[in-house]
Amino acid sequence: MHPAGLAAAGTPRQRKWPSKRRVPVSQPGMADPHQLFDDTSSAQSRGYGAQRAPGGLGYPTASASPQAAFLGDPVSNMAMAYGSSLAAQGKELVDKNIDRFIPVTKLKYYFAVDTMYVGKKLGLLFFPYLHQDWEVQYQQDTPVAPRFDVNAPDLYIPAMAFITYVLVAGLALGTQDRFSPDLLGLQASSALAWLTLEVLAILLSLYLVTVNTDLTTVDLVAFLGYKYVGMIGGVLMGLLFGKIGYYVVLGWCCVSIFVFMIRTLRLKILAEAAAEGIPVRGARNQLRMYLTMAVAAAQPLLMYWLTFHLVR
Amino acid sequence: MAFTLYSLLQAALLCVNAIAVLHEERFLKNIGWGTDQGIGGFGEEPGIKSQLMNLIRSVRTVMRVPLIIVNSIAIVLLLLFG
Repeated sequence: MHPAGLAAAGTPRQRKWPSKRRVPVSQPGMADPHQLFDDTSSAQSRGYGAQRAPGGLGYPTASASPQAAFLGDPVSNMAMAYGSSLAAQGKELVDKNIDRFIPVTKLKYYFAVDTMYVGKKLGLLFFPYLHQDWEVQYQQDTPVAPRFDVNAPDLYIPAMAFITYVLVAGLALGTQDRFSPDLLGLQASSALAWLTLEVLAILLSLYLVTVNTDLTTVDLVAFLGYKYVGMIGGVLMGLLFGKIGYYVVLGWCCVSIFVFMIRTLRLKILAEAAAEGIPVRGARNQLRMYLTMAVAAAQPLLMYWLTFHLVR
Repeated sequence: MAFTLYSLLQAALLCVNAIAVLHEERFLKNIGWGTDQGIGGFGEEPGIKSQLMNLIRSVRTVMRVPLIIVNSIAIVLLLLFG
């Protein structure tokens, strides 16, 4: 194509932007391309037009050039600043909403553990019978971190115990020549599904009985996750000593976790009655007792259900 | 087959469907679970029944549109991989 034709074809495209922005000045220069370069009244439109012109002439490469010009433009800088401020606002909003649904700052509390605490808590899980004081300690309305209080719920032990349970299940299946990689995922999915179902059931019953409690969902996950410790013990003993070892250790752990759950949840679910210091005899309180018992009784059943197929 | 997360999701979807399908005038009113029945007075703690009615009403109100979407996704998934 002839260059002049290209220039002529390009001219209307060049004029579009400035004419939109500053109508009075660019109207008379519509026919004359030079008017564009002489116009110094606005730095924005001049810079834009000057850089735009070669793009219009070199027609085949026109697609790349306007973008470069666009990025160099002060207006686009402003737009970018505005956009990034918008993005920052959006990020803030998302952060706030994430914090509402998954309390990230609160999760830190559940992982504030040390070796002493983990040892004590594991001892408590296997032998809760002699422990006297089950009250979670508070310091100015906020619960004390698990580091300093053995009764506080933590997520470290449940998380590690869950992973260990999946691995031990894989080991047990491997010793029986039944292992395949997807079985690990199946075990994890199944255990997670039962955990979720349990949490949902407890939340629903807490709602139905209208319990005023400070038990959060994360607390529930923590307390329900302690049962994996006993399951690991049972399966490991099953691997070492066969069925008899499995049943003995799992039975012991079941009784222990039952006592542990009753003593812990009693303070949480029956908190009002405990605060009054007198045993309240009413239908509502009885319902709460049943709820505590049901939650505690579900633990041994699930412990057996999730491990019995691993031991031959 | 084992009870997995996906089957839990499906079961939850079916349960929510079952709640959402209860009809206010044709069914709930007839068994005394209508909106205007059994609401406790001010100050007294709501019983299990009123809590349950509240839950059913909330589910029916909130989940109507999401259920359509989730159900169609579940149907497509079942058709493809079921």
